[in-house]
Amino acid sequence: MNSEADKTQATNATLAMSNAEKHPAVESTSSLPTSPPATATAATESCAPAAISPPAPAQATTQTSVPTPAPEALANGNSNSNIQEVVATTSSGSAAATTAEGGATVNGAGGVVTSAAAATPPPSAKTVNVRDTTTSAGVSSSSASKSSGLLTVNSNHHHHHHHQQSSSSSTSSQQQATPSTVVMQSSSQHQRSNKNEDAPNILVYKKMETIIEKMQAESTGVAVRTVKAFMSKVPSVFTGADLVAWILKNFDVEDVTEALHFAHLLSSHGYIFPIDDHALTVRNDGTFYRFQTPYFWPSNCWEPENTDYALQKMFSRKWEFIFMQAESQSKVAKKRDKLERKVLDSQERAFWDVHRPMPGCVNTTEIDIKKAYRRGGSSHGTGSSGASVAKNPIEQLSRIIALRKQKLERRTIKVSKAAEALVAYYDQYNEFDYFITSPELPNPWQTDSTEMWDTEKNSKEVPVRRVKRWAFSLRELLNDAIGRDQFTKFLEKEYSGENLKFWESVQEMKALPQSEIKEAIHKIWQEFLAPDAPCPVNVDSKSVELAREAVNSPNGPNRWCFDVAASHVYHLMKSDSYSRYLRSDMYKDYLNCSRKKIKSIPNLFGVKR
Amino acid sequence: MPKIDPETQALYDEINGMIEKFKEDQKAKADCTLADKCGDMSDVTKIRFSSKKILKGHINKVNSVHFAGDSRHCVTGSLDGKLIIWDTWTANKVQIIPLRSAWVMTVAFSPSGNFVACGGMDNACTVYDVNNRDASGVAKMVRELVGYEGFLSSCRFLDDSHLITGSGDMKICHWDLEKGVKTMDFNGHAGDIAGLSLSPDMQTYITGSVDKTAKLWDVREQGHKQMFFGHDMDVSSVCYHPNGYGFASCSEDQTARLYDLRSDQQIGLYAPPQKNTGFTSCALSTSGRYLMCGGIEGMVHSWDTMKQKHTGTLSGHENRITCISLCPNGMCLASTSWDQQVRLWL
Repeated sequence: MNSEADKTQATNATLAMSNAEKHPAVESTSSLPTSPPATATAATESCAPAAISPPAPAQATTQTSVPTPAPEALANGNSNSNIQEVVATTSSGSAAATTAEGGATVNGAGGVVTSAAAATPPPSAKTVNVRDTTTSAGVSSSSASKSSGLLTVNSNHHHHHHHQQSSSSSTSSQQQATPSTVVMQSSSQHQRSNKNEDAPNILVYKKMETIIEKMQAESTGVAVRTVKAFMSKVPSVFTGADLVAWILKNFDVEDVTEALHFAHLLSSHGYIFPIDDHALTVRNDGTFYRFQTPYFWPSNCWEPENTDYALQKMFSRKWEFIFMQAESQSKVAKKRDKLERKVLDSQERAFWDVHRPMPGCVNTTEIDIKKAYRRGGSSHGTGSSGASVAKNPIEQLSRIIALRKQKLERRTIKVSKAAEALVAYYDQYNEFDYFITSPELPNPWQTDSTEMWDTEKNSKEVPVRRVKRWAFSLRELLNDAIGRDQFTKFLEKEYSGENLKFWESVQEMKALPQSEIKEAIHKIWQEFLAPDAPCPVNVDSKSVELAREAVNSPNGPNRWCFDVAASHVYHLMKSDSYSRYLRSDMYKDYLNCSRKKIKSIPNLFGVKR
Repeated sequence: MPKIDPETQALYDEINGMIEKFKEDQKAKADCTLADKCGDMSDVTKIRFSSKKILKGHINKVNSVHFAGDSRHCVTGSLDGKLIIWDTWTANKVQIIPLRSAWVMTVAFSPSGNFVACGGMDNACTVYDVNNRDASGVAKMVRELVGYEGFLSSCRFLDDSHLITGSGDMKICHWDLEKGVKTMDFNGHAGDIAGLSLSPDMQTYITGSVDKTAKLWDVREQGHKQMFFGHDMDVSSVCYHPNGYGFASCSEDQTARLYDLRSDQQIGLYAPPQKNTGFTSCALSTSGRYLMCGGIEGMVHSWDTMKQKHTGTLSGHENRITCISLCPNGMCLASTSWDQQVRLWL
């Protein structure tokens, strides 16, 4: 791990840049690209005039204008980190200009900036930083605005270490070593470390990590080696076959499939990953896999923000350039282990494969957005936490008691009765349940025939089951257009058609827009309820009186004014006309008629009771 | 916790006493179990459904699906910011409605098929008229219902002009779409409302909530009629029994339950064979015999509600199932998932 510290310097250009760029997002106080790094990149590229935002001139005159960007950053309140980075990049630039003139530091400000970051302090300076951590952030930031290169560089580092205190030392060196995302992660992780405990999958993660640790054990684990290819070396990998063999040997799994599935789960959670594929899965062959570094384990509870990801994409074009420069710098400063970098690169890539999987891949790190919202992950909107809960406890408790009393007073039926009702309902309806009985008409989705939908429109052929259903309840009958039609005819024959008409017009009236309600109510009153109504309905005087009151109420009638009368009529139809209809020849004929027409369809599944 | 004054304490004690009494009452009424009662019934087969069609078109997680009353068209809402109305028979898209906010959490089709409503993290409910197009040729937005303090988690049409919504601010709202006004607005639960189901006669509805309870409401009134306990975690979805006297609920606690309104208690408990899931959405078959629940592990589980046996799983989705919807004639089940697919099972 010690070699990683060196890489820090090599990639610091990217570090500082991404760090500063990141902060507006993390702290969400400033989102504008006031951040000098934007200009830094622009300058680095030395060919992007468009990208030069206001602070750019300040950057161009690096050495002297250090305070200029600072106030902007200060405007963000507590974001002294921003200042530090700004200053770090710029002022250490001066340091770099003197010390490490190597590589590509030629093109004005841009060159300075990159070299500055790239040539950040040697390991010794870093240890100084660690000691410096004790100085307060305020001091370092205020001094940063004026002070010399070295000190500000320190404060930059100080900032990093501040975050890293939350993680173990080994991971912290990793943190520094890996490009781009690392710093932003460190800060977001810092913010979220306290949430670790209630991470949704934490138990699973812990279990997986124990297993992964076993796998990584020196002698008993999976054999990790460096494979020599024709021209290059592939460091620290193992094959899928090895892994599966190891799982079969060490765990109580039944067969290869299960072992493979198990390996796949580990992989989909990002603990192991294929070195040259974005799809996180494991194949039982010679494909090479690598272990993820503990720093990138999902249990660290990162919720990488889209900005991180986008940032990486945004810079992807410039990335190579940034890398090349950083690399050349590092070659000057120190020899760099190419293979290690390869490993780190791949680990970082795998991190993103876990958190932003390519389409069609399993995403294991995501949590339900509603949950995230509720946990306060979102700054806007409050979810349930925001609403008022306790206005007055006594008042509230009294209300609860009232409700409970109501509950106690309610008469409830026995469970046996409830069960019987369920069974009865099932007995009645099982032949209409597609799950249990195959339908009379072919399932349109399976047979490509829309007959089922078409026949609903013409009344010539009504399936017998449908007619049978009319007998279940008046509601079933009235819900079916043809059924309602038949029932109307029946009532007309019985000279009691007005009941249904009244009920229907009340239902229709209730669905009308408010503007037409008044007129409709008047019409209904005149037609059915008024003393001299042309077709009076058979309603008790009490209901009529209620309706009269409602119709003539000073506030004007509302759409529910006939509810009592309508339900009375409905009950009447249900208890009287409906039962007579079911017994009538009319219904029986209709039933027989449709029965004859229907060719019996074999019960395909034989599941009828 | 602030100090509790004696008066409050007395009220607490009273409540606790009542809760004890409920439990006794419930026990007294629980003279048998559903499983006992149905022991002599014949078994039903494993669920026969298979994945027959995949409706492709969304390019992000699909969060919700709901069938229209014709059992043929359904609407899905996805985080790609689109509502898609599908003809499930041809698997063609009938309409694509681009949304103002991509954070759609719930969709609803009116029973007549004339309107769709959707809402989500935009803290609003938007209603589109399927039959009218605006200048750009997409369905016309007829209402934007605002005033929520939390995300919209559920909405259902009573008819073309009435809508009920449940939201993350714990509120239940009734809207008159004709006038575009809120007719009722009250605190429904002690936590986000998660699911809402209308009774077959459209007179009552059930809500499920993060406060682990489900409640029964009358569409005309504000106070709840009944309250149901049992789940250990968020109740994510509820579904009225077709007989109108009970409902099923499912929860993150990896169980689904069946409650009876008239006996005022839980009468069925359904658990998956392996404890590796958590349920997001549930549906009951036409006769109420089969219960289906979509799980976060990507399977739809099914049970025999009567004998309380697990009757199989439907696998196909590769990620969390967010919503399932059985079409009104009970022949086709649609499911939506984080894997960006909408699947039809029949």
